[in-house]
Amino acid sequence: MATVKVHDKYKWKWYQKFYFISITSGMLVTLKYFLKCAILRQQATVQYPEEQRGYSSRFRGRHRLKRDEKGRERCTACFCCMWVCPAKCIHIEAALVPPEKANLYPEDKYAKVFNVDHLRCIFCGLCEEACPKGAIYLDGDIPKPFDNRDDFLSTKDTMLDKEGGPIIGTRL
Amino acid sequence: MVNITVDGQEYSVDEKKNLIDALKDVGIHVPTFCYHPKLKVAGLCRLCLIEIEGVPKLQAGCATPVKEGMKILVSSEKIIKAREAMMEFQLINHPLDCPVCDKAGECKLQDYSFSTGQASTRYKEAKRFISQEVVGDNLLINHNRCILCLRCVRFSKEILNEESLERTQRGNNTVIACVKPGENALISHNYQGALSDICPVGALLNKNMLFKSRVWWYEKTQTICHGCSTLCKVTANVKNNEVYRYMPPENKEKDGYFICDKGRFSAPDFSKNRLYHFMINGKKKKSTETYAELYERFKKSGKVLIIGGTTESNEDLQKISEAVKLFEKNNKNTVWEFKTEDYMYKGDWNSQIDFLLTSDVRPNSKKAKEIAGDNGADKNSLKKAVKDADIIFVINELSAPFSYKTEDESALAENMVFQFLEENKGWDKTVLLTTHNNTAAKKANIAWPIQSFVEKDGTYTDKTNTEKKSAKSVKPPEGLKNSGELFEAFIETLSQKEAIA
Ligand code: SF4
Ligand code: SF4
Ligand code: SF4
Ligand code: SF4
Ligand code: FES
Repeated sequence: MATVKVHDKYKWKWYQKFYFISITSGMLVTLKYFLKCAILRQQATVQYPEEQRGYSSRFRGRHRLKRDEKGRERCTACFCCMWVCPAKCIHIEAALVPPEKANLYPEDKYAKVFNVDHLRCIFCGLCEEACPKGAIYLDGDIPKPFDNRDDFLSTKDTMLDKEGGPIIGTRL
Repeated sequence: MVNITVDGQEYSVDEKKNLIDALKDVGIHVPTFCYHPKLKVAGLCRLCLIEIEGVPKLQAGCATPVKEGMKILVSSEKIIKAREAMMEFQLINHPLDCPVCDKAGECKLQDYSFSTGQASTRYKEAKRFISQEVVGDNLLINHNRCILCLRCVRFSKEILNEESLERTQRGNNTVIACVKPGENALISHNYQGALSDICPVGALLNKNMLFKSRVWWYEKTQTICHGCSTLCKVTANVKNNEVYRYMPPENKEKDGYFICDKGRFSAPDFSKNRLYHFMINGKKKKSTETYAELYERFKKSGKVLIIGGTTESNEDLQKISEAVKLFEKNNKNTVWEFKTEDYMYKGDWNSQIDFLLTSDVRPNSKKAKEIAGDNGADKNSLKKAVKDADIIFVINELSAPFSYKTEDESALAENMVFQFLEENKGWDKTVLLTTHNNTAAKKANIAWPIQSFVEKDGTYTDKTNTEKKSAKSVKPPEGLKNSGELFEAFIETLSQKEAIA
């Protein structure tokens, strides 16, 4: 079979064959970082989980349901997030606001039940984008491991912010 | 037909029609709020403004007569500006709460706000707020959303001949209110769904549908209503394989603009508490077991009574009548009594209650009468027949929404057939073809599950003897038969065992 030679094998120079220079320059880098960490305490890693780093502002964590400046629930159970969700993991039941609770909601319709199944959620953030009320944001913590399936179901109790939040359209 | 010029194009249109409708026929859509083809022109909303050559000011299109040689503009820059301005006016006090509003998705204000309105408003003042009120036993009014088109007022007056809603107060304070003061002023007529429907915005809403769904979730099927012998053409709104409500048909000009509440809101009953298995004395059994059991009884018996059929389609009735003929041929004395309700024994039992609803609340009594034959018997003869019969087939008589509403089963016990069976120990010999797993199905000796009205295609005969097609809007579970097919299956069992020739 005819062969075509496309490349010559690299020929080491005589001084390259010692390897000494390369090894020394590599060790110098290691030494630099060792001194940086040991003396100046500038290490790049953290002692997880005792120590935790902040996330980027675009990080998508668990859902939080927001309240407005007056402390009322922003969600009006419009079902937009439920409709857009590609994983079909949001379950909402709407109801008429009872008169004695009228001060807690801006409109007359509210979400009696609002569940997000975090075993199904793919954290795409479409629900956040679809919400016309700025009521749902994926700005909660990272989904933690649990030892049973029920804990992965976030309900209003666990998702709803306790106090009023910033104006619509911003993230914490 | 006359010739007119619209935006420089010549059209030939029907001069007897309103300009809006005439233009719609040739494919030109002029936005309107207050105009409705079945109501008198009011000229209130001014969204339909058009420019007429030779007339200095813009004119309301809905109030302009069509004339030969007329030259009009419907999409000039001036018109577009005017429409934008009108939309801005309409939205001054509007709360813009589409996420909450049940009308969103079928709301004219929403549609026109997108198509002809502006993206923002210049109005900075506080919006007017008036609390929501209950105006009917199934009707709410949200004054903030009302655009005062008076369609509801005109509908009540002109179509229903009733003074129930009226415009009160003046200027910025104008609201729609009940005419009669006090507690019993609440509207209770059969057209509260139509009122909510005719309202172009979400001001009038039905309480029983409130927050149940969103409009864009519905799959739509063009079919007919089961509610009475009028058999109105309707659009079935289906979600999760359940009919949520009926709406007026797609082709309104041909098939009618309105439907009544009885039909509109009773379809959900077809999917609640359903019977999906065969039963013997209230216990779940296989179909073949019920046929075998019935076969034993059938062999010994001489008298067969068939009750009902007014709820079934022409095709099913045909199949049942073939079964009846076979029974007779094999020396069974077979009686088919289609009258099952008190009212059917009264003189003229199929009369108009209002402009749509008839007193006959079954979809197919015309055909049942024709096939089963009206032997002029009275109630007592049915009672006697129940007593004497060896086997009684009851065809879908004791099921919802025909005999009772699923939320309150007590009405079932007042049903005439139910009472006769109860009084004459009839349950032990009854084969009940039913859609619902209710007391009657449990009491009957044998219960056969059948497809409901919305689960099958079929032809029905309305009060004027016109045949109308009903379309399957909900998928029945695999293998569920309709009443005709069940009779066929039973006949096959009989012929296999050579009990019938
Ligand atoms: S992040 Fe995506 S998958 Fe998760 S709930 Fe929202 S829309 Fe659904
Ligand atoms: S969270 Fe937002 S999108 Fe979801 S139902 Fe509530 S208001 Fe609608
Ligand atoms: S309630 Fe509806 S139909 Fe009646 S005037 Fe107001 S907008 Fe028009
Ligand atoms: S008039 Fe009869 S057929 Fe028409 S919607 Fe009412 S119940 Fe149905
Ligand atoms: S539709 Fe012509 S004025 Fe309202």
